[in-house]
Amino acid sequence: MSVTDLTADRGATRGPADRPSGGRRRRLSRRVSPVVWLLLLIPFVVEAAWVFWPAFNSFQLSFTKWNGVGAAQPVGLRNYTDMLSDPIFATALRNNVFWVVGFGGLSVVAGLGLALALNKPRRGVGIYRSAIYLPMVFSLAVTGLFWRVMYQPDGPVNIMLAAIGINTGEHQWLADPNTALGAILVAAIWRQAGYIMVLYLAGLKGCDPALEEAAAVDGANAWQRFRYIVMPQLRNVNTVIFAVTVIDSLRTFDIVWAMTRGGPYNTTQLLSTYMYQVGFTLVNLGYGSALAVVIFLLAIAFIITYLARATRED
Amino acid sequence: MSIPTPSRVNLTRRGLFAAGAVVGGSALLSGCLGSGNTPATGGSNANVSLTLQSSLSDPKPKAALEQVVKGYTKYPTTLNTVAIEQFRAQLSTYLTSANPPDVLTWYAGSVARDYASKGLLLDLSDMWSGDGACAKFSPALKSLSSDSSGKQIFVPTNYYWWSVFYRKSAFAEWGVKAPTTWDEFMALCETLKGKGISPLTNGTGSTAWMASGWFDYLDLRINGAAFHRELLAGKHSFDSAEVRKVMDTYATLIPYFDPKGRSYTWQEAATPLVNKKAAMYLIGAFVTTAFPAADVDDVDFFSVPPINPSVPSAEEAPTDGYFASASTKNVGAVKDLLGYLASAKEQQAYIEASGSSNLPTSPDVNSSGFSPLVQKGMKLLQDTKEITQFFNRDSSDALQATADAALTKFLDHPGDVATILKDWQAAAQKVWGS
Repeated sequence: MSVTDLTADRGATRGPADRPSGGRRRRLSRRVSPVVWLLLLIPFVVEAAWVFWPAFNSFQLSFTKWNGVGAAQPVGLRNYTDMLSDPIFATALRNNVFWVVGFGGLSVVAGLGLALALNKPRRGVGIYRSAIYLPMVFSLAVTGLFWRVMYQPDGPVNIMLAAIGINTGEHQWLADPNTALGAILVAAIWRQAGYIMVLYLAGLKGCDPALEEAAAVDGANAWQRFRYIVMPQLRNVNTVIFAVTVIDSLRTFDIVWAMTRGGPYNTTQLLSTYMYQVGFTLVNLGYGSALAVVIFLLAIAFIITYLARATRED
Repeated sequence: MSIPTPSRVNLTRRGLFAAGAVVGGSALLSGCLGSGNTPATGGSNANVSLTLQSSLSDPKPKAALEQVVKGYTKYPTTLNTVAIEQFRAQLSTYLTSANPPDVLTWYAGSVARDYASKGLLLDLSDMWSGDGACAKFSPALKSLSSDSSGKQIFVPTNYYWWSVFYRKSAFAEWGVKAPTTWDEFMALCETLKGKGISPLTNGTGSTAWMASGWFDYLDLRINGAAFHRELLAGKHSFDSAEVRKVMDTYATLIPYFDPKGRSYTWQEAATPLVNKKAAMYLIGAFVTTAFPAADVDDVDFFSVPPINPSVPSAEEAPTDGYFASASTKNVGAVKDLLGYLASAKEQQAYIEASGSSNLPTSPDVNSSGFSPLVQKGMKLLQDTKEITQFFNRDSSDALQATADAALTKFLDHPGDVATILKDWQAAAQKVWGS
């Protein structure tokens, strides 16, 4: 439905008295339409040149073998069939599932918990809020380097654990395949939880306290008030947070690259780090593009199913 | 109905911007599939200017090269320094672009040969004969700088050696001395371990390629340089009896490594060596940059002792230098610049300013001012029968990635050597087959 259709509909339902103004509007929108088109055209051209065209090239490249020199050789679907027998791809895919669930789930739980705890105005609550939000100002690469130091065998994490009586025997968090990805996850959540908290705090500010009071008077306990009074009012915030979290977790790259580079022996590879390694360190651009296409399809599938559901609910 | 002037101006400006975005966008992207490039116009011969693309992005080498290039006045030269990871990823793009940089820093050996076989590198053979700038360089360097058809396509300007580095004062404190045989070496490791010192340090965390140092040397000592080169070229299997023997020897070293090295980078792994918590480190001469200036004189090294007496001596000596793009428009000027960079004076200036322990390739460099450590390194490389470079330089970055996974896994699980070698061979096969 175009802009003019909208104004026409509105004009029709408003009755005769409103007609003149509706008509003027219609004329106005016709008069400025070249500018509107131009304003639409500029971002479209920029988007097409910088996003769609490279993305299209990437699709094309994924059916070729190319190391950046000479012409790309078409290989059909071989890159995709190779993927099925690639053990590193299988690890990366598994890790990505773990990451989306772990990163998405835990950062939302932590963020919501912190927001609820710090929602009521109290003395010093602002300090806590800023302290928890503070990690967000660091880039993921810096966060990764910082936590790499924390996780060193003789670093603060092991020292603190020893101080509270847990002897880890200088455990090598990032060098042990069993703990490496979990250790990176902790670092990523440490940064993300503050961000989610701020979004939920904003959402909680929009909740009507009178509703909660009324429910309390009616005898609802704390959990019931949260579940049936507060949560429904947070629906719009939840939509934003879900989209942000899914996108953030699928594009996670820097923190893993800074902390382990996908090691030890490829056990912490995500699709994104593996794609980077294949495409840019090994300059195997055909296979790298095929991996990028897989990431794109996963992301788009997630977002489309989610948006479809969200719009249906509205 | 009149449109006010400012908005008309705005419209035109926007229109121009849109048109600019389309033109600029398509021009930039036309190189995307590596085909159909049209040569850029311009670049008149009247005012020749050169571009030198450099991957020397560490502060000291960067400043050193800037200083050397500033001293070159014959043709105006622009130095572009790019972070090494990005340089590696874009090197192919540089060389195939319509208007490539004239001269580029990179590695001698299989990488340069690979580009030469695609016709991307300038033939520099005349610099290696008669009174050319490289004519007096050693035959080993000449063969390293030659492509498969025997043409020279590389100008090496410095190289460095790998060895087992240690602190003289630490060895004196512990009452031990550098070993000359393999048995002495193993006994030394045992003695040091008994004193509560980590005999060996290594940084195989995010610099997993460091694990290849010992692999290369053990293969050179057990199977020899010829086998090693063929193995890396795909003529032997990693799942072979010879490689199995190398791994079995490697396994005997594992108890002597500082276990924390699995979390370290090569730089972090030097700290225990500096602090005398660890005794020895098999690494390139660049390790001296990890020592405080006051301690550099305390650093000494010994070559990995022979294991199999029937193989000729061999050392790893990665060689750095320059090659030029085949499609440069100023061949004469490019060779002039390369000759300048390869000259004894500029090699020396670069090495001194960069603060590394690199060795000059020119025999005319006056080495009397070099530290005893560097002089000892020069002698090591002069006396050795065979020179290899390093795992990735003798093969490819793709094969290095397979070695990183296999060797770090082996260091964690030496008992799984059979499966690890099988997987390694399968991964290597994919690299060679692609």
